[in-house]
Amino acid sequence: MRFSPYAWAKLLYLRDRGEAEIGGFGITGPQDPLLIEQFQLVRQHATPLTVGFDDSAVAEYFDEQVDRGLRPEQFARIWIHTHPGHSPLPSRTDEETFERVFGRCDWAVIFILARGSASYARLRFRSGPGAELLLATEVDFRASFASSDTTAWDAEYAANVLPLHLPEWELLADVQPPLSFDPYDEWLDPSVARPLSVSEFLFT
Amino acid sequence: MRILVINNDGGGFADYTEVPDGLTVQQLFQRQIPGGKPENYLIRVNRQPVPPSQVLQDGDRISLSPVKIEGA
Repeated sequence: MRFSPYAWAKLLYLRDRGEAEIGGFGITGPQDPLLIEQFQLVRQHATPLTVGFDDSAVAEYFDEQVDRGLRPEQFARIWIHTHPGHSPLPSRTDEETFERVFGRCDWAVIFILARGSASYARLRFRSGPGAELLLATEVDFRASFASSDTTAWDAEYAANVLPLHLPEWELLADVQPPLSFDPYDEWLDPSVARPLSVSEFLFT
Repeated sequence: MRILVINNDGGGFADYTEVPDGLTVQQLFQRQIPGGKPENYLIRVNRQPVPPSQVLQDGDRISLSPVKIEGA
């Protein structure tokens, strides 16, 4: 599977835009179903550990892409989301979603990009006996590509990624350290000489 | 009558199709996604959620999109 440089840059930028996981769809051209030319967010509720798409936003995304003249196999078959930490391997939730949502499609891809940059791509198709296979991923520089547009990407992120505050997450912020707690012990990253955020502390 | 159907299942479909007059949303769903579970889809007509009993009209646009796309 290949990404255009533009799509890959946008995915990395949005992954690192905040602490939350993000997700969206890969959009391909009419000729090559495994060349992702665009990565598109849909409105979603996200935490550093989870991402859930808004059902109405998915429906609206489908309508918009059809209005652009695209077919479902170009905009709705490659499900992309990010993971915290270094593991891109699918969780049980990921597998359940892939089966329930994409299991009736002739083919579909789950793609996961970890914050540590490792990635996972798996194609499943139902033709004949059906099969699944892991895909290598690369950025394809052969075709011309648009330059980055961080202003537009920021706007897309702000409009679509809605942070969801887990109760447990909020409780962590209220935890009072013990009297013997040394703030320069384990909460300080010596390489950057600044206190770590909760998610950095837990997931890096 | 002629309606536009958007459906990602199978080979994917986003085109006009002829259906008999009086067809309901539920009947269309059963034709488009045999054996499918309605609770796994958001069914909209002309971009609005509708009840299964709604009768389709000529020129309607029906989208069957997945729900609960969740990652962790």
